[in-house]
Amino acid sequence: MTADLSRAALETGEVLVVERLGGGLLELVARLPHLAATAMPGSFAQLRCGAGTTPLLRRPFSVAWTQDDTCGFVFEAVGVGTRLLSELQPGDPLDTLGPLGHGFTVVDGGSVICVSGGLGCAPFPLLINELRRRGVEDILVLNGARTATRLYPAERFARPAVPIVAEATDDGTRGHHGPVTELLGQALASKPRALYACGPNPMLGAVMRTLLESGAELPPTLEASLEAPMGCGFGTCLGCALPVRGEDGTSAWRLCCTDGPVMPMRDVDWDGLSALPGADVA
Amino acid sequence: MSQEGSAGVDLGRGLTLPNCVGLASGTAGYGFELEQLIDINRLGALYTKGTTMHARDGNPPPRVAETGGGMLNSIGLQNPGVEAVAAGYTPRWRGWAIPIIVNVAGGSVDDYVHCVTVLEPVAEVAGIELNISCPNIAQGLDFGRDPDAAARLVAAVRKVTERCVIVKLSPNVTDIAAVARAVEDAGADAVSAVNTYIGRKIHRANGRSVLPLGTGGLSGPAIQPLALAAVAAVCDAVRIPVIGVGGIVDAASARDFLTVGASAIQVGTATFVNPETALQVLDGLRG
Repeated sequence: MTADLSRAALETGEVLVVERLGGGLLELVARLPHLAATAMPGSFAQLRCGAGTTPLLRRPFSVAWTQDDTCGFVFEAVGVGTRLLSELQPGDPLDTLGPLGHGFTVVDGGSVICVSGGLGCAPFPLLINELRRRGVEDILVLNGARTATRLYPAERFARPAVPIVAEATDDGTRGHHGPVTELLGQALASKPRALYACGPNPMLGAVMRTLLESGAELPPTLEASLEAPMGCGFGTCLGCALPVRGEDGTSAWRLCCTDGPVMPMRDVDWDGLSALPGADVA
Repeated sequence: MSQEGSAGVDLGRGLTLPNCVGLASGTAGYGFELEQLIDINRLGALYTKGTTMHARDGNPPPRVAETGGGMLNSIGLQNPGVEAVAAGYTPRWRGWAIPIIVNVAGGSVDDYVHCVTVLEPVAEVAGIELNISCPNIAQGLDFGRDPDAAARLVAAVRKVTERCVIVKLSPNVTDIAAVARAVEDAGADAVSAVNTYIGRKIHRANGRSVLPLGTGGLSGPAIQPLALAAVAAVCDAVRIPVIGVGGIVDAASARDFLTVGASAIQVGTATFVNPETALQVLDGLRG
């Protein structure tokens, strides 16, 4: 099936700020009226990093939040592309293509759990804003990171009112000492209508494993925002294949960029995904 | 106004492209995504994703890796198979002004002949591009590296189609001109050059190849001078039209190919970065 790209457009915006949040987390804010008006929860944009031919490819980033004609992106300077983005100054142009991708199924009632690992916080403010707009108030964010300084600040998950955020750090410097998945068991007692997850693929696999091992009834809406090395972002290069289980149980590939990045967690071939080599960041 | 971007390009057998700027195979799918992003019907041709006799799932990920000024891919010819293209895709091309040239790939002469035979009655197919140069599947290069095998393939396909047959050449050979001459003598109407260069990238954290099959096909601006040398050699070797492709990012890098004798060009990887690149090249050539 051909992806719906009817909202996607090239747009050169203006950088307003690149804010250092601590622990290496960065929040890029840019005036991007088209993207701000059309991004849906789970949408991503392809950002050009510099004007040259190295790095050649755009980099995909979740639209973290929108406000009036501005958009926010959360990232970390880990490679040549994100380093260039981290050096942007107010007033610099930002070349974008978006919104792209298949986003979250936004429920309109019941309780909701958002599970975030590290930079997996990125799509949640926009999602939580939309959930609130639809009248969903019972939102619990489980936010995990390696260490306290790398936790996305709780107050940024939603504006103005903050949802309940439970934190976990691998080193115990804040919140629960251990992986964020250890907070899931208690949270499931609320029989959530939806669980949304975003983070590194191994963390997402751990979320699914924890859900299955808990014996609890799986939330009707159970979705994860996934990642894969991406070429174009709009479904033509076929580079960002992810393993899913077909209806007959056999393994198949789906494109992260147009079938995802948000996919039903029940459909993902988690064993296949965990067997893939880690990202090559250069 | 320059004639470079405005004149039609006669590729033979009744196929005249409205202008010289096309979208390269493997970088435009079957057009249905880009149609939503750009005014695709202004362009001279769409060369589809490589299409095979049977559907192919493609290679395991990661399938792409970025390199200096370029990218490696190892997609593995993921496509729905020629029957699905003929039955399901071609009706959606009805009414498009852009000529659709279906890129056909296979592992044997019979595979190619089957695909071309299936496509022969389909009115929406303007021409055939024979992919004898895919570096990412077993036997993908068997025809592209052997002038005699390439000639036998073209002769067999020639018997089952009246359409314009373009042969896409591999640069991963010692003498690309020899392959070009062989397919010209066997009845090819045009050649396109070049497909991707075999390349490898090492994951420096663990010393392993980034791509699971080890190597992939290198494309992007890094290969433009290499492609230009290959295309110049092909232009010197044949009388049929030559379509230049490899690393074009703007009108200037496209014009280089016309300067060495190419009749038309294809924009490939640059479309991933900016879907409007081919249109910008066209406007730039028109001055």
